[in-house]
Amino acid sequence: MPPCCSTGMPDAPAQDALTQAELDSLAVRYARLLHRAVLDDDPLVVETALAEAAELGREMMRAEIPLEEVSEIHHEALVAFAEAHPQLTLPSVAHRITAPLMEAYMAYSLSFREQLEHRTNAILNARIDQLRRLESIGTLAAGVAHEFNNILGSIIGFSELLTDEVESAPGSQYLQHILQSSFRARDLTARLLTFARDMPEVQEPVDVVPVAAETLELLRATLPVSIRLVLEAAVPQAWIMADASQIQQIVMNLCINAADAIQVRDGRIQVGIEQIGIETPMGNARGEHWTDSPNDAPKTRVRLSVADNGEGMSAETRARIFDPFFTTKAPGKGTGLGLSVIHGLVTSMGGTISLESTPGLGTRFRIDLPALAGTLEPGAQHPATLDENAREAPGPATETHHR
Amino acid sequence: MKTILIVDDDELFRTMLEAMLRKEGYQVLTASNGTEAQARLESISPDLIMTDILMPEGDGIELITALNRQQRGIPIVAMSGGRRSISLEFNLESAALMGVKATLPKPFTRENLRQVLADALQG
Repeated sequence: MPPCCSTGMPDAPAQDALTQAELDSLAVRYARLLHRAVLDDDPLVVETALAEAAELGREMMRAEIPLEEVSEIHHEALVAFAEAHPQLTLPSVAHRITAPLMEAYMAYSLSFREQLEHRTNAILNARIDQLRRLESIGTLAAGVAHEFNNILGSIIGFSELLTDEVESAPGSQYLQHILQSSFRARDLTARLLTFARDMPEVQEPVDVVPVAAETLELLRATLPVSIRLVLEAAVPQAWIMADASQIQQIVMNLCINAADAIQVRDGRIQVGIEQIGIETPMGNARGEHWTDSPNDAPKTRVRLSVADNGEGMSAETRARIFDPFFTTKAPGKGTGLGLSVIHGLVTSMGGTISLESTPGLGTRFRIDLPALAGTLEPGAQHPATLDENAREAPGPATETHHR
Repeated sequence: MKTILIVDDDELFRTMLEAMLRKEGYQVLTASNGTEAQARLESISPDLIMTDILMPEGDGIELITALNRQQRGIPIVAMSGGRRSISLEFNLESAALMGVKATLPKPFTRENLRQVLADALQG
């Protein structure tokens, strides 16, 4: 893997870490060239040894050997050298040891810098590409939606005019179908525009429950049928201050990631919505009627969770999951920006995001957002389950996954 | 009988709106872009102008700007199939900011149209 494409930072251990034997062989090579540089009187040999030292430094950078290990190699080489030549004292050879050491370090540092520049450029270019792509998708979607709306305007208008003409003549009901279909198309263009992200951010009271439901409906059409997509809302409404399209973006992104992580036949993605940190009076766990007192309000949070029974993540992946450009997806399949963007969105809404994951069992992302104080109407009962077959947990969200 | 000038580059849409408005009892004049509308407005004085925003020649914003400058006092209804687009020039919000009487996102139903006309033609 060329350095520019590796996900590691320049001073991090290489993904394909060198074996101890390879490290030892570097130390041995270093010890040998030290030997020649210090003891040989032929200037050409000394010069060659110095050139080799520089090459060694570059190689160490290419292999992404961290600086501490370079020092270690240097130290070992010195020890080996001292043991091989006990008659030589360090002061007597110091002036000749310094040269190969400097060559190696300078080459290492220069390569480091080159690699850093290379990677920074790669990251910047990827980001610019990403932004351009997003922008062009947005422009395209907005343009298509605009044209569609014009066309729908004619279809709806003419259908209504024709309805007057034919009144109850045979076939007049078909006009109603045309109208209904046109209204569906109108809703679709409205959604397209929302996803084109062409709107300035507007923070307003948003009920997360219908937003999540609508997002899952959109996702349903794109995810493999083997994956069940379930919405479990423990509360009928969950109000927060947000830009609804950002909530859609969050849910959509997490669900797509979840779907990518699912390799099993019976895939399942469960989106949960609950209120946390509230006192439910009279032990009514469903929270069918509650009122936030102003003092309690800041403690109340809406918890949005997305759980899957996918492959889960290793501790290493978990640790870097929100890093920009970190991705476990195949090249071209993901930008590595999704989760860092989500992290940014959640933070800007005053919320927190965390995850639990067990390799082989699945992952659960949890987003806690400050709830808006309000009263829930009694009677409105969920879970609102998109997948009829998956209506298996009547009542508050039940965590059925084991992690 | 009140007269309405429709300004829209989409011929089918113009035809539809003209038929609908006639049926509602209005006299209708049409123009296919802002430039043509401005030319027509030199000799006519409708009670209301319904204009599309994004048009290839003389868009709705230009037309609204020109009419604002002339202070003709003709109420304007801005129509558009676009919402808030990336290029902010051609949207209903900017039309609203420019003082149009009402905005009407496309597509709309006859009921939407009736409500908007009732408001826009009221005094």
